[in-house]
Amino acid sequence: MKRRNFLKQSALASTAALVPSFLKAFGGEQILGSRSGKILVVIQLSGGNDGLNTIVPFQNDIYYKNRPKLAVRKNEVLRLTDELGFNPALKSLRGLYDNGMMSIINSVGYPNPNRSHFRSMDIWHTASDSNEYLSSGWLGRYLDSDCQDCQSPYHALELDDSLSLAMKGKERTGFAANNPQQLLKATSNKFLKAVAQHDHHHEEQVAYLYKTMIDTQNSANYLAGKAKTHKSSVNYPNNGFAKDLKQIAELITADSDTKIYYVSLGGFDTHANQKSKQERLLKNYAEGVSAFVKDLKQNGLFDDTLIMTFSEFGRRVKQNASGGTDHGTANNLFLMGGQLKKQGFYNTAPQLTDLDKGDLKYEIDFRSIYASILDDWLDADARQILSGLFDKVNVF
Amino acid sequence: MKSSEKINHLYWRAGFGLSPEEWSKKKDWSVKRAIDSLFKEAAQAKTLNGEKEFLLSISKKDGKPSKEQIKKMMKESRQLIIKQNAQWVGRMADDKHSALLERMSLFWHGHFACVNKTSNLAYKQLKTIRKHALGNFREFVHAMCKDVSMIRFLNNQQNRKRKPNENFARELMELFTIGQGNYSEKDIKEAARAFTGWSSDKKGNFEFKERNHDEGSKTFMGKSGLFNGDDIVNIILDQPETANFITRKIYRYFVNEKVDENRINELSRAFYKSDYDIRQLMLSIFKSDWFYESKNVGTKIKSPVELIAGIMRSLHVSFEKPKNVLFIEKALGQILFIPPNVAGWAGGKNWIDNSTLMLRLNLTYYLYGKSDVNFKVKDELEAKKRGQTFRKIEGKLNFKPLLAAFDNQSNTATFEAMKSYLLLPPILLKVSDFDSYVYKTNSSDYIKSLAMRLMSLPEYQLC
Repeated sequence: MKRRNFLKQSALASTAALVPSFLKAFGGEQILGSRSGKILVVIQLSGGNDGLNTIVPFQNDIYYKNRPKLAVRKNEVLRLTDELGFNPALKSLRGLYDNGMMSIINSVGYPNPNRSHFRSMDIWHTASDSNEYLSSGWLGRYLDSDCQDCQSPYHALELDDSLSLAMKGKERTGFAANNPQQLLKATSNKFLKAVAQHDHHHEEQVAYLYKTMIDTQNSANYLAGKAKTHKSSVNYPNNGFAKDLKQIAELITADSDTKIYYVSLGGFDTHANQKSKQERLLKNYAEGVSAFVKDLKQNGLFDDTLIMTFSEFGRRVKQNASGGTDHGTANNLFLMGGQLKKQGFYNTAPQLTDLDKGDLKYEIDFRSIYASILDDWLDADARQILSGLFDKVNVF
Repeated sequence: MKSSEKINHLYWRAGFGLSPEEWSKKKDWSVKRAIDSLFKEAAQAKTLNGEKEFLLSISKKDGKPSKEQIKKMMKESRQLIIKQNAQWVGRMADDKHSALLERMSLFWHGHFACVNKTSNLAYKQLKTIRKHALGNFREFVHAMCKDVSMIRFLNNQQNRKRKPNENFARELMELFTIGQGNYSEKDIKEAARAFTGWSSDKKGNFEFKERNHDEGSKTFMGKSGLFNGDDIVNIILDQPETANFITRKIYRYFVNEKVDENRINELSRAFYKSDYDIRQLMLSIFKSDWFYESKNVGTKIKSPVELIAGIMRSLHVSFEKPKNVLFIEKALGQILFIPPNVAGWAGGKNWIDNSTLMLRLNLTYYLYGKSDVNFKVKDELEAKKRGQTFRKIEGKLNFKPLLAAFDNQSNTATFEAMKSYLLLPPILLKVSDFDSYVYKTNSSDYIKSLAMRLMSLPEYQLC
């Protein structure tokens, strides 16, 4: 057993109040929250969110020159610093930012960026190099590592009918369920339940299929049960994304064994008429997240939660002829939580004077953020999970 | 092993299983006879000749298309690729087509993995794959290096003398021929130079653009000369490591994911000696005794397309619309003509997670229309709306051939016969274990309901 795991387990055996402070000090890491373990929520903005119109460099002439139609007007920007501010559609996140619960990392990307949605998303999911093809995802490989308490098949849950590559490991996989009740229905086949009780051969593939089937049946029962335990009292907006977040909040509050949640919001591929489309999506995003955070805070759980929001790439600096933007490269990434060390902006605004063929250059490799999450939040071994060493971002 | 088990194994690995009619006819054949028949069918298979169907109504050769036209072209192209996809699955499932040829083509499609964007180029590529699927691998590689869809996919259009693009050269070696560890980064750079100017014209034909080609001397894998792309391919194929890499991949796909190094060495030496005769290699695998050892039988997880084609074959499924096939492929993670990336589908356990497994186990029921699917496929990344939820898969099943093949027997005899037809791995369930879950009112209801149950077992996922 790794030393940290030992510490963590011995700490878990007692209650939070009884944890000696020297244990907390050991290794300088937070060992315990009020719940058993840390929660990670990954939000994927699919399609390539335009970061420059999300976090707006409102003092930058190059920005306004390149986007005569599309730029957010100076007087509309919700100013956060002297040079950067929110798109007004992110209004509901203002409080989070002001209270130090949000960290914004600018210019996140990777070397030799790929501008295809699928390829770039794969790179983000697998944490590979741009010219490397991996068939397992970073969170899946986290499940494969000897991580704390992640033996349960629903340790990592994606709110969807199918599972993203990020959640697929070599040995273990995350769990996909759009909605626990529906999952219960899909696994209610009496014949297959009887089959699960019956003996089968133990050839490797047969055993693997049976294990997955039985795990799914049991997980459906577990998750449907947990989903009923707690009903949120917070008002969420009425859309699919917010519904997913509400489901997650309810599962977290019910102290479900699920510790990693994955949820997507799509539609960000705004090649034409971007302004209204993106702002509607950003509004959905901000309102959903803001309700979610309120919910977790009410239950004293936000300190144990880290929310990461990313998109597969940003968009070009220059607007196109259809009132939209084309595929770009580096982008901003949000981290939210009650325990952030580095609050507000992590680094300076993207350099609009130093572009690579019209696209932003990356400054921070996205795998640096993964490495920090794995090492410092999930108490895992990033070196084992990511190939290569990445400088960590010191955010939490 | 019973000879019918060998036949089933052979037809599942060299094809997509047997239709009930074929099963009745062939289950008692000798392996030799079956192999001869499979290869004869492949040799006699017709070339595809539906090009016209997949040509776009607007073409770039008519001059520069407007933005609207490009949008329209892309949409049309996507729809035509879906149509092609469904047609191909249809061929895999149809016992009037050469199962071996379709199976080999599916393998090579995953090997020379290329994300296809243009329907007529996708069609052309499949034709090339079919032409060489059981032919000579050397010629095959030469042909794929001139395949326009591949050239575009791997950015060789942008590979020019002054600004080489290494993507094509890298994947050619890493994934298509010799495999990692057998070349240097310098080799990639030099190979990229040799492929400069290998491009395509507006009509979608291969075009060598001389002015973009680097005429200079290159040093590649220890040899120097004024190499062009063809020379590079030949040098790569002169390395025995290439034969080993390809043999290993074929073995892992057709025999067992766990390789037997001695067999690989033996097979790859012969493959190299034959100067890459694919037919010969496949024959020696299918004819060997070890191919039929129990560790190689029923131990491979069917890919989504193999699963669909197999069900279609057994239950004579016909789909109302191509998008029904697409839905299943999407939900299960294998869309023909659109592999995830140039490395192809990872296969094996990668096909399985809780979501795909439950859909797989329930698939025949969904096809039968007994229960609703209610499955939301993942949003397309560039989609404007959220992903579509499929309530029903519109397909028609025809049980008649199945009934004809298994009728007139006692229930126990039917059970045994259907078990050996539908399942490759052994099961411990007995006929009585099914009693509460099948209809016994008459023999046809029994056969139907039993088939559906057997096809919903985890063991049915294996071949």
